[in-house]
Amino acid sequence: MSLSAESKNTGLAWLKHPKDFLFFKIFVWFWLTVIGTITALVFLSNIATNQVSTEELRGPMKKNLEYTAKSIERSAIKHKKTAAEILNHPRLAKRKLLYLNSDQAENSLTSRLPADDVDLNILNFTKTMSPQVIFTETYQAFGPVKVNLPEGTFYLYEIDESHPAPFLIRLKLMPIWLKTTIALLASLTLSFIFSRNLIAPINHLKQAAIKLSKGDLTARANINENRRDELGILGRDFNSMASQIEQLVTAQKRLLADISHELRSPLTRLKMATGLAQMQASDANQTYLERIEKEANQLDKMIADVLQVSRLEAKSQTLSLHKQSMQVIINHVLNDAQFEAKQCNKTLQVEGELNLDIYCDESLIASALENVLRNAIKYAEHTITIKLALTETINIEINDDGPGVEPANLTRLCEPFFRQSDARDRTSGGTGLGLAIAKNAITAHAGNLTLHNQKQSGLSVKIVLPIKKQQ
Amino acid sequence: MKLLMIDDDTGLCELLSEYLTAQGYTVECVHDGEQGLKKALEHEYALILLDVMLPKLDGFEVLKQLRQKKLTPVIMLTAKGEDFDRIFGLELGADDYIPKPFNHRELLARVKAITRRIEHIASLGNTSSNKLTVNNIIINLAAREAYVDNNELSLTGTEYEVLALLVKNAGEVVSKEQISEEVLGRRLASFDRSIDMHVSNIRKKIAEYNSSERIKTMRGTGYVFIRGE
Repeated sequence: MSLSAESKNTGLAWLKHPKDFLFFKIFVWFWLTVIGTITALVFLSNIATNQVSTEELRGPMKKNLEYTAKSIERSAIKHKKTAAEILNHPRLAKRKLLYLNSDQAENSLTSRLPADDVDLNILNFTKTMSPQVIFTETYQAFGPVKVNLPEGTFYLYEIDESHPAPFLIRLKLMPIWLKTTIALLASLTLSFIFSRNLIAPINHLKQAAIKLSKGDLTARANINENRRDELGILGRDFNSMASQIEQLVTAQKRLLADISHELRSPLTRLKMATGLAQMQASDANQTYLERIEKEANQLDKMIADVLQVSRLEAKSQTLSLHKQSMQVIINHVLNDAQFEAKQCNKTLQVEGELNLDIYCDESLIASALENVLRNAIKYAEHTITIKLALTETINIEINDDGPGVEPANLTRLCEPFFRQSDARDRTSGGTGLGLAIAKNAITAHAGNLTLHNQKQSGLSVKIVLPIKKQQ
Repeated sequence: MKLLMIDDDTGLCELLSEYLTAQGYTVECVHDGEQGLKKALEHEYALILLDVMLPKLDGFEVLKQLRQKKLTPVIMLTAKGEDFDRIFGLELGADDYIPKPFNHRELLARVKAITRRIEHIASLGNTSSNKLTVNNIIINLAAREAYVDNNELSLTGTEYEVLALLVKNAGEVVSKEQISEEVLGRRLASFDRSIDMHVSNIRKKIAEYNSSERIKTMRGTGYVFIRGE
């Protein structure tokens, strides 16, 4: 990356490797487009009003034709032959089709009958010109050369039926609508390729950036490895940045998980030792030992929660899916919550029900609901409302009438260990991981958990779960 | 009563053996899977406490090889939250599991629940040939053996207890909570699948000799052993 960046700085490097520079590409493409447009314009302006195109006749062809004219004149005077006789003479007739045009159309003659689609009348307008090559749709004509015969003045043309008009002339002879369409299509295609070429990598970058910002750390921009211009470099730099972020985040999460895992062995020993001490301690010391046990349990719970969150985040948790009634899971959670709410002198209201069976990891769903409910009970003033509704999805809404959450903190609330204010105490028994577990558990079931502030006051947690009827 | 503890955490082994000794058990400790398996096969223990993460031979492998020869009761020590470990252990024929870090009282309760049956046999002695017969299944309560069409089933202690409980109450629904409390000596945790695992093991073992389904699942409540044809 650094190598290419250096070469960019050395002044006119783009002259050496123009393909590596977006500047050059834009320049060339723009130029091409302009050229294309101009060509199309010239093309359009060059449309002849008739179906004929002419060029000055030069060289041996002209001499040949003049020679033929002379010999016709000579034959007419010397051998007293009529124009028709001369033209029908095998020596002439065997050659290309000759046409003697007279001012009176009925006097005009040909050496033999031309093909049906050959219209000789369109040559009339060239009579006053010097010898020309005349292109029409079906034939080429060379002439006119004046021939003075006893019967009058004729204009000699040599007609070449077999020779198709050259490509460019054919283009010129195309009808207007076709010309316009081709010109339009050509410029359209050019502009399209140009913009695509320029925009495609930017779009890839955009999509990758959006995905990354949404938390998909595996998102990478799909940039051609061989692309060496500014966009190519930007794309690769973006990708290496994304890899760096992914590595850092993964390392941080793994560290958290590893530490938690390692803490378990000493914690088990601590609990065991406490048990032993409790067997022998005096009554005075029992309270302290109980306190130690309580704190050890709290530590145990936190470690379990951290591990659960990291397993869910890393998607390494295998969901053990079972068919279970949603209402059974909810009732189970509600029973405990009712009890908890009553102890805090708060009321729990339930609206609606969810009578359906789905495949889910029931303990995960239950723990998600439990965590959200516990949070609601903790912060509610008086009442907690739970709304259950069944549409194409399972919808669960849990509202409290507490103070709500600062809008800026709404999205951060599901981060592990995030607390709204430092003033919030930790004595309430929470680990700061409840909502993180809930969110990840719901996400693991392809559902969605969102937080909103209600109009009046209080937080509203909306859980949407897809209905999974098959394993 | 002699227990075998297989765990590489020597500190924990010391504390645990001190604690269980105080409760009247004799505890032997080994710290790797190979030695643990060797000891378990050579000697008779009332119960084996088996850790999952072990050097040389992991806990599952020890259990698998042990079960090919012996039905000594085994409690697996799993890491909390590792549901897979738990289920896999039960599938391989563990009698119960206890997640680390555990509470000493919880551990004692489980150990007692498993070993109490052995005390129970000892007290029964050879007093009576107490037998239960339902359809083609015979339960010999004194010898703690179960037969299907006169073939002896090779059940672990827990599996035997679950089957005996179901047969005793044949024709009635036995709730999972009841099974858990009577057999494992603990309350069934919410959404705990261990009883289902034990029942599924029993079904597989019966199916080796007779394909007719005897134990019916009552979803959400428990199990019934069907009487009659």
